[in-house]
Amino acid sequence: MSKCVELNKKLLELAEFHGEELDAFLPRWMEATEIIGLSDENVEFAINEFIPTNWDIKFKGLRMMIGAFLREIVDLVVGAREKKKEGKPVVYGIIPCVPLSYYTMKSARPDMYVGFPDFLLVNTINSFFHNAAPYINYAEEIGFTYGCRHCPLNKMRVSAFAKKILVAPNVIWSWGMNCDEGPKTDEFIQCLVGEEWTAVVSRIAHDTKIDETDYEDEERIKYLSGVFKDGIRQIHELTGIEINETALKDAQAKNLKYSFKYGQLVSLVCKADPVPIGGNALTQFAMPMVTAFNNGYTYMEPAIDVLLQEIRAEIKAGNGVTPKGAPKLGSYFVPFCIPWVDRLFRENGVATTFSETMTPSKSQMSPHKYATDIYSSFAEEWLRFPMGQNMGCEVESMVEKVNANQPDGMLMGFFDFDRWLGAHQKMCADLVEKKTGVPHFYMESDFWDDRDYSEEALRTRIESISQLLYMKKEMK
Amino acid sequence: MREIMKELDALSRGRVKELIQAKKDGAKIIEYNGTYIPEEIIRAAGAQTYLALRGGEPEPTDAVLDYMLRFMNPLARSLAGFMQLGLDPIMPISDLLVTQQTDNHIGRITELLEFKGIKVNKVGIPADWKTDGADAYYERSLREMIAEVEEITGKKVDWDEAKANFEKSNQINEWLRKINDLRKKDNPPIGLDDVIHLHHYSFIVDPDVMLEKLEAIYGKLADAEGIFDANAPRLLFIGRAVAIGDYTVPRIFEQSGGAIVAEYFDEGYRVLQKDVDMEGDLVHNFAKNRYVDTLPLSVMQPGWKERYAYFKQMIEDYRIEGVVWYQLCFDEIYDMECTCLAKWLEESKVPMLKLESSYEYSRESTGPLTTRIESFVESVKEGK
Repeated sequence: MSKCVELNKKLLELAEFHGEELDAFLPRWMEATEIIGLSDENVEFAINEFIPTNWDIKFKGLRMMIGAFLREIVDLVVGAREKKKEGKPVVYGIIPCVPLSYYTMKSARPDMYVGFPDFLLVNTINSFFHNAAPYINYAEEIGFTYGCRHCPLNKMRVSAFAKKILVAPNVIWSWGMNCDEGPKTDEFIQCLVGEEWTAVVSRIAHDTKIDETDYEDEERIKYLSGVFKDGIRQIHELTGIEINETALKDAQAKNLKYSFKYGQLVSLVCKADPVPIGGNALTQFAMPMVTAFNNGYTYMEPAIDVLLQEIRAEIKAGNGVTPKGAPKLGSYFVPFCIPWVDRLFRENGVATTFSETMTPSKSQMSPHKYATDIYSSFAEEWLRFPMGQNMGCEVESMVEKVNANQPDGMLMGFFDFDRWLGAHQKMCADLVEKKTGVPHFYMESDFWDDRDYSEEALRTRIESISQLLYMKKEMK
Repeated sequence: MREIMKELDALSRGRVKELIQAKKDGAKIIEYNGTYIPEEIIRAAGAQTYLALRGGEPEPTDAVLDYMLRFMNPLARSLAGFMQLGLDPIMPISDLLVTQQTDNHIGRITELLEFKGIKVNKVGIPADWKTDGADAYYERSLREMIAEVEEITGKKVDWDEAKANFEKSNQINEWLRKINDLRKKDNPPIGLDDVIHLHHYSFIVDPDVMLEKLEAIYGKLADAEGIFDANAPRLLFIGRAVAIGDYTVPRIFEQSGGAIVAEYFDEGYRVLQKDVDMEGDLVHNFAKNRYVDTLPLSVMQPGWKERYAYFKQMIEDYRIEGVVWYQLCFDEIYDMECTCLAKWLEESKVPMLKLESSYEYSRESTGPLTTRIESFVESVKEGK
């Protein structure tokens, strides 16, 4: 296990920890590496090879973002244990969700722990250390089979509980709005590992037609708000957390502020020529809007502020990750957890930019119809989120984002483990391509887990997509 | 018995021709895909119904891949695949396809059908069945579906007719339960291959005819000799579904000397645990029957412990010596339940065989499949 303090100090310095803050954080980070099982070799590989090769660490804002993730990991594996011992509530969640609901809880009860363990572990360990494979393998060994193409996030959750990396929460609030497997994973863990905790499950059936607009369906909003109310009631009974309108407003204000900054960042990057930063970084910055961070926006917001300044300066200086005039590639969801995909595109002269799912649509940014009704507000937020919609409704928002960001091509795929978010992408590609004229490319691959997809395996496909983009651009 | 089965088979096959003719004569056809849809009520609104549950062939599952993820279960893919290949004569002439939205597989395949221009109605079935209001959601969704059917047929539901239809359905269930009781004998007179055919015929053949045939079959089976070897291991077969046409695995079991004396499927099998109540609001009664009174589907949460308790009771009632878990490939929730069930069965010292089907039954595939089944049957026999 990781024992070399100097090495870990170097990692934290890379992630913009300095002075007293570094001294205070280092022991907790060391404890976290012990619990997770990150070795000196893993840390060394991250510092010397994986992070510098795959991330634009010349930007301080990006390094601060890495630091924010390391803080979340420490809170997850060290902090949550402490909270549990102190009798404070520990609440987990799964993605995708409306983080506003979790942030509202946190606003109402700041001393609680809230986090999304599987996402944090897979994302941090793979994006920066490229080492999630052993955990995923372990879940397969104990019965979450390889052959059935399960979700790596759920595998990580199974593995992390079985390996005692995670402390059992008071409650896990499982949003199964998209996913059948996510909420059932709690049941699986309880059957297999025997940890007993309460899983509050909130779901809605996928039963709107493709010509219906989910967020305009009053009945749907009403039902979903009831589901959330029931979920929050159960959480209140289990933890004593009581949410209120003040907490909601506080969470909404923080959310909106960060979303606005994120929207600015995406717009700046997508419109710049050359593109100043890759899609990996851009999408990682969207994460606090998709999952709840225990620290909220406390560390991500200063990081995005710094990055915005740096990007403006970079654009002014005419610097970019690809040459001026290079094609830009948008994605359904830039596979930031497998950051070398972004790098391979750059090596072929193509810049990845925005993620359709993570870029707020006009409907997401417009005022809520039920802004003061807590539960309806959550429901409305979810149904405005592209992942919460039927395919036809989602396609409309994709068209809007493609037209706004004007990429030269769109990359679909990387969700082959997901029977909801991965299943419809070929149809979406066909529909959006017809409506926008922007070519769409599909790659069967895995967003979180590259065990089956090596660089060499994807290189040829990426080269051919890149060549097509150049040809298409020249033909314009 | 064989003669009656042949007659039912002919009637079942003939239903397609009947529907094509009915359509020409101006009838409205509503296709549906499972037992969470009250076809008894749809018929009472003046429509002809047809169950879309074909499977067991690999080509339709591949036919959807231009627009669909590879890792969807083959039953869901078949729903669109048969149509895509022009092998489903009913879907293109249907006025509406009603799909029970139980999980992502059927959810996205239904969207593929919409993408292909099929008119659909989606009946929402929340998987969090213990959540306040989830049962009411399903009931409301049923009522909306019925309203759409009425609009298509131009006829309001005749509730007396619906009641009569449910009464016949309940009688069919009763005969099937009685037939299942015969399988508790030391050597049962009927196995899964025939039983699953009876269930499938019962969805397609005219209910009056079906009732008459079931009564005749029961009469022949009641005192009939057992059809298995005296030493045949008694097996319980569990899975999402054996689709119409997917009969290879049950047949191999019977040919290999295994006696499947009980089964449990979430789809493509009549709901036998409790009949729909005839008093009061039939839509409410039907919703309650399917959503509250019946064992939850695998995808519903919480569900697996409750399902295991039920399977355990079946193991006791039918004196089961081995369990066969029949899973469709890439069916992630069933795969997870299988791991849990295997653990619990191991604790109870009941052997289990997990089989996974992609509907690929070529000579190359059935060889190893047969070997596995024979080995399992032999090992259970030896363990007796």
